[in-house]
Amino acid sequence: MWINMGPQHPMTHGLWNLRVKIDGEIVRDIDPEMGYLHRGIEKISEDRHYNEIITLMDRTCYVAGIAWEHLYIQAAEKALHVVPPERTLYLRVLVEEMQRLASHIMWYAAFVQDLGLMSPFLYGMRDRDLLLDHFQSFTGGRLTYEYMRVGGVRNDLPPGTTDRIRKTMDWLMDRFAEYDRLCLGSQIFRTRCDDLGVLKAKDCVTYGVTGPMLRAAGVKRDLRKDRPYAAYDRLEFDIALADTADVTARYLVRMEEMRQSVRIIRQVVDWLDHHPGPVMAANVPRWLGAPYAPIGHEGYLLKRHYSKGVGLSAIEEPHGEATAYVVNEGGEHPYRVKFRSPVFVNLSAAKSYLVGYHVADIPPIMGSVDVCVGEVDR
Amino acid sequence: MSVQSLYGVASLIATTLASLVPGVPGYLVTLLADLIFGAILLAASMINTIVLIWYERKLLGRFMDRRGAMHVGYAGLLQNFADGLKLFRKNTYMPSEADRLGFYTGPTAYMVSSLVIFGVLPISTGWDNGSLPLSLLLALVIFSFAPLFIFISAWSSNNKYSLMGGMRSAAQMIAYEVPILIAVVAVVVVSGSFDLTTIVMEQQNYWFAIPLVLALIVFVAGMLAEMERIPFDLPEAEAELVEGWNTEYGGMLFAFFMLADYLRALIGSILIVLLFLGGWTLPTYVPSALTNFPLAGIFWFMVKTYLVFGVFVWVRASLPRVRTDQLLRVGWLRMVPLALASVVLAAALVVVKCLPLIGCVPGIGS
Amino acid sequence: MAASAKPKEEESPNPVLWVARPMATAARQFVKSLVRPSTIVYPFERLEDPKFRDQVRVESGHPIGIGEVWDNYRGVHALNIATCISCNLCAFSCPDLCIEMVTVPGGDPKHPKKCPQIDYGKCSYCGFCSDACPEGCLTMTTRYELSVSRRPEMVFSPQKLHEVFERKLPMNPIRVERPENEDAIRLDAPLCIGCNACARDCPTNCITMVDTPKPTAKPGEKLPRRIWKEPVVNDSDCVRCGTCISVCPKECLFWGTHP
Repeated sequence: MWINMGPQHPMTHGLWNLRVKIDGEIVRDIDPEMGYLHRGIEKISEDRHYNEIITLMDRTCYVAGIAWEHLYIQAAEKALHVVPPERTLYLRVLVEEMQRLASHIMWYAAFVQDLGLMSPFLYGMRDRDLLLDHFQSFTGGRLTYEYMRVGGVRNDLPPGTTDRIRKTMDWLMDRFAEYDRLCLGSQIFRTRCDDLGVLKAKDCVTYGVTGPMLRAAGVKRDLRKDRPYAAYDRLEFDIALADTADVTARYLVRMEEMRQSVRIIRQVVDWLDHHPGPVMAANVPRWLGAPYAPIGHEGYLLKRHYSKGVGLSAIEEPHGEATAYVVNEGGEHPYRVKFRSPVFVNLSAAKSYLVGYHVADIPPIMGSVDVCVGEVDR
Repeated sequence: MSVQSLYGVASLIATTLASLVPGVPGYLVTLLADLIFGAILLAASMINTIVLIWYERKLLGRFMDRRGAMHVGYAGLLQNFADGLKLFRKNTYMPSEADRLGFYTGPTAYMVSSLVIFGVLPISTGWDNGSLPLSLLLALVIFSFAPLFIFISAWSSNNKYSLMGGMRSAAQMIAYEVPILIAVVAVVVVSGSFDLTTIVMEQQNYWFAIPLVLALIVFVAGMLAEMERIPFDLPEAEAELVEGWNTEYGGMLFAFFMLADYLRALIGSILIVLLFLGGWTLPTYVPSALTNFPLAGIFWFMVKTYLVFGVFVWVRASLPRVRTDQLLRVGWLRMVPLALASVVLAAALVVVKCLPLIGCVPGIGS
Repeated sequence: MAASAKPKEEESPNPVLWVARPMATAARQFVKSLVRPSTIVYPFERLEDPKFRDQVRVESGHPIGIGEVWDNYRGVHALNIATCISCNLCAFSCPDLCIEMVTVPGGDPKHPKKCPQIDYGKCSYCGFCSDACPEGCLTMTTRYELSVSRRPEMVFSPQKLHEVFERKLPMNPIRVERPENEDAIRLDAPLCIGCNACARDCPTNCITMVDTPKPTAKPGEKLPRRIWKEPVVNDSDCVRCGTCISVCPKECLFWGTHP
């Protein structure tokens, strides 16, 4: 019997359709259908000036907006031959790690909700709110930040932010222990999640699966270490690894990543306290390229030309490895923008880690993948 | 007939009404008294159920670091009445391919069968319609009708999710009937009666929860499964089955399901209180001030019931859902042996006529 | 340098009491929230209220807000009509095309004063307009309650935006500083016809037309028909709005590196 889990289904966490062929309670075949949330972000980007694409990046992945901004901005800076100042690199690491925390906490909340645990869902949302408060305090937005700019970031941290961040990190470390007691400490959780949704290292590499799923299979791969970008090569942290490749392993890897993120953030705020400086590169126009002509001014053309360039950047986004490719043919708009979504690849491999398990296992397994349909469909 | 009992109140109203019309035959007065008694019971159980939903919402809210309903009425007490009113006003839709008879009878019968049980549950001394010798058995039999009605409504809604939820529900309820009944046997063996009033009276000084703790554990776990609450709410697992067997229901029919679910939760809590926690009685060695006020029996009964339900809410707030095969495995391979062990234990207790913690009490269990 | 993520001993399930640890954790949270749950009863308690904020920040044990989070909030815009120079930069930088420049009283008949009118049905609150504003007259405030009953009410006229300004709500203090050596307006002199369009439309009047010597025609050469004037941009006054480039009929003005 084929059943449609989606596009409107509590399991999906977004807008996609998982067609499942079941035999009793056993999954025999699956067929993921994506594309319900396609907004044509890559195509729209070709018609926008370089800074305006940042607003689209926030909406690409709605739980990790600033990580995608970071991804795009690195590629755009390479394409436009702009070098950001050093303090900016640290600020970007700070916000990316805080975004990783927020995204992983959001994942935790959604994942335990799939298992039927309701209180940790609200604990997760509560603690994520603290991080959103921080984002609000220095970017002005809670979900769509628009913080990065070509050549730097919009603004420096307001005074006192670093102390508040330190306090929040202490608070969060206590909460992580609480999360673990609620999940790992529960026999029901362990019987549900152990040996579930196994995707071994070989299969991960074959399918191109990245991120926590790959590290849960024991593959030591993290772009922050392997191809350091921003200021990651100057910071101390470890790659979180597990070896059982099941749902519990993915849980453990994400939890360990959150602790490592806290470690990184503590180092970064210490650095930021002692190294003031500009956050915007000199000689960068405030807004790049020609924007749309506003209503009533269709005849206006703002011509601006840049030396040609191509930018490619890859970052370890909370969900996996994301890549951006920006081609600057010299015009006001990028000639082509292309993104690689890690979740798209992770979802495409769904058949190999869903078939053979129970229907009741689909939500926790898909939850452990951390689906963000916004970036799958772009 | 004394006004100290609910039936007394009902027949007082009936006789007063009958005296207004001269020449009413006696059997009509009795019938009227029965009807009034039923109406009072119905109203009391429904209001209690709705208050129970409020109680769960508030309690769950605190467990989840939030507040729960708080704006309609004092502390949100009227919120559920407002919700019920909203559901009452909604149109009821039936899927075009659904089976009409089953679609409508399922929820109604589910609700009615749950309500009927209140007729046999004693609430306090004298506050029931006489004592039935087999009231415990009758209550459990009616309680186990539910999977049938759930399955009827699930199958007749002609929806794949409903069908799967109905299947799971039937499998789960039937699997957990067995340990529940065996656990009840332990209580019956110790108390020597199927009559709930007698069972309660037997526990005046020592609650069966202490010697029969194994039976209590089995009974609570079984009741969680019967009530379809987390961690055993997989027939309604919203993560994979949308809403399980009531996916296609809306409006008042859904309200029937919802109410009946909480009615069953209330009945489950009441049964635990009656069977294991001494019902409306308090031990004689507690200060008499605690028991010497009007309606003390009902008061302590309600306190115990709500505390037991609070434990269910606590479980719901902290545990994830189990999987069907794990649930059935636990049911058949763990719960049934545990229940059997508790029966053996109960039999041993009867044989030695001696209960722990209280000391030897002669004449008990005979 | 790899941290292997393994469950710690104290976080494994208790072998005897299966679910004791999560239930104890939930009970602890229950006791904590009996004092005060972390939720904010929104219409009655507001995070932007400093008094309330002091009670609930992390330091006080109730982790509801982290403190001074509201000062940079990007909410409804505030417009100071008096200082607006009608430079169009906000409208140009808007990614959602929600800003329309409408005429407001105060300009001279030849050059009407135009101020932004914002359609909040389209606005995404990205803040690019207030970043682009060279005079700081368009800023974002902490106001976030915007429910209206009719769609046309979502369109805020300049006067309505000015009312927001006059309510003196906390403004977003972040001002994006203009980078040094920013690109400037350059002139491709041989193409210029001296038409005065750029100087006429410049919102800051930083362009002046200066005379250029009319070359003497060599025999056989035909001089272009033009006005012998050339625009000179006063770089310190220029706000880089690009209006001059847009209106130039001969496309002789362009963005160039700083002289």
